[in-house]
Amino acid sequence: MKYFRPNSIDEYHELLVTLKETSMSILAGGTDLMPRWEPDKGLMPDVLIDIKKIDGLMGIRENEDEIIIGALTTIQDIKKSILMQNEFGSLSEAARQFAGVQIRHRATIGGNICNASPAGDILPGLYVHQANIQLIGPNGSRSIPISKFIIGPGKTMLEPGEIVSEIHLLRKGVKSLFYKLGLRQSMAIAVVNFAIAYQQDSNGAFTSLNIAAGSVAPTIVYLESFVDAIMSGVSLDEAIQHVDIDISPIDDIRATADYRSTALKNVLEYNFRHELHQGNE
Amino acid sequence: MANPLFRISLTINGQPVQADVPATLRLLDFLRYDLDLTGAKDVCGEGECGACTIFMDGKTVNSCLILAVEADGSELMTIEDLSHGKMLNEMQQAFVDYHSVQCGYCIPGMVLSGEQIIKDHGKPDRDTIREDLSGNICRCTGYQKIVDAIEFAADKR
Ligand SMILES: Cc1cc2nc3c(=O)[nH]c(=O)nc-3n(C[C@H](O)[C@H](O)[C@H](O)COP(=O)(O)OP(=O)(O)OC[C@H]3O[C@@H](n4cnc5c(N)ncnc54)[C@H](O)[C@@H]3O)c2cc1C
Ligand code: FES
Ligand code: FES
Repeated sequence: MKYFRPNSIDEYHELLVTLKETSMSILAGGTDLMPRWEPDKGLMPDVLIDIKKIDGLMGIRENEDEIIIGALTTIQDIKKSILMQNEFGSLSEAARQFAGVQIRHRATIGGNICNASPAGDILPGLYVHQANIQLIGPNGSRSIPISKFIIGPGKTMLEPGEIVSEIHLLRKGVKSLFYKLGLRQSMAIAVVNFAIAYQQDSNGAFTSLNIAAGSVAPTIVYLESFVDAIMSGVSLDEAIQHVDIDISPIDDIRATADYRSTALKNVLEYNFRHELHQGNE
Repeated sequence: MANPLFRISLTINGQPVQADVPATLRLLDFLRYDLDLTGAKDVCGEGECGACTIFMDGKTVNSCLILAVEADGSELMTIEDLSHGKMLNEMQQAFVDYHSVQCGYCIPGMVLSGEQIIKDHGKPDRDTIREDLSGNICRCTGYQKIVDAIEFAADKR
């Protein structure tokens, strides 16, 4: 196996032109890739391109309108960021509930996005804040909304040679929360997870509402029917029945489809009553 | 097809180290088999248990999920560096004093995670210790005495 570690995007693109191997992989923190490989049995790609030293892809910066997160920013750095805690609560909380410290020190936000797991914990927050994913390729860069970038389990719009460089979040003063239900409290992949972004007037009525849920469909999904029902003013009990229109869960080793549907409705209802103070507490 | 070798230079426990390694070699195996630093343990190999924990550039990581080539240019610290010979540091001594050890397999990782907890939180409460130990699994002790030891070591610093 060959290993390369380019120091800049230009070096990375120059490298791509010279490579003839067919099986290659981009390596960030390796926390999704490494458990899948069996190095001692040679079950690894022919070429590994480690992007961790590429300049300028790490860290969180801000301007007046946006917060920009480099693709190589670790989950622990997101957890520790006061900026994220203050303005993007769902992402901050998802980072807090993500794996353990050692994994968070390596796992990157770009890796969570490109791995495109239906259970990825960082994703629901990115969906409800309508994050834009910035890509850099041999032919320049482009930007795609997260919900268009991820197209299936493990599948994205990434073209050969492209990498995710940045995640852009608009600072609109929208609040958000994240909730994760796992089989145990930490180090567990979500049975269901979701993020809610919202604005409320002084009476507690929603002026905006956006919800995205994970582990209940091939990709993260927006709970549009449920949100429409809530915004139309029907009761929480009635609105919650609409959730099934939005999701298409399956049975797997962690839970059955039925369990996921029931669990999602229960934890949603719980959050609406106790965190957002809707209906009877 | 021959597996090519890559030259890596890094610092391990304060000592400069150079080696030629295949890109398929895990950092954990490099430490244990090439350098005989067997304090980091190989248990799950999947990042779940924390027995292979080491410090890399000042942060705890699972060495079973890292390739030796990725460590080129970095600074590593393993459990061997905490004690100088048989002189235990206060965290290690606290694990002894609080009877925090049964089979011992998880302990190097527990001690290093304890060091990271002090680094991050100074004098943490027990809930914080428990939360930040979630990447380390112990099948023997029930954790209580491990938390006791870390709490005590943090208080003493
Ligand atoms: C013990 C354990 C616990 C975990 N717990 C959680 C959890 O609680 N929640 C959760 O969501 N996930 C969890 N994960 C999964 C994993 O840690 C995350 O998905 C992580 O964010 C992946 O990031 P990485 O940098 O390690 O990715 P890598 O493994 O390096 O890469 C993942 C994929 O993305 C591609 N890629 C990475 N970066 C880029 C980029 N910038 N541009 C283009 N392609 C790129 C790679 O080629 C690869 O296909 C866990 C994993 C382990 C081993
Ligand atoms: S052996 Fe590395 S985490 Fe278990
Ligand atoms: S003491 Fe045996 S695994 Fe922890």
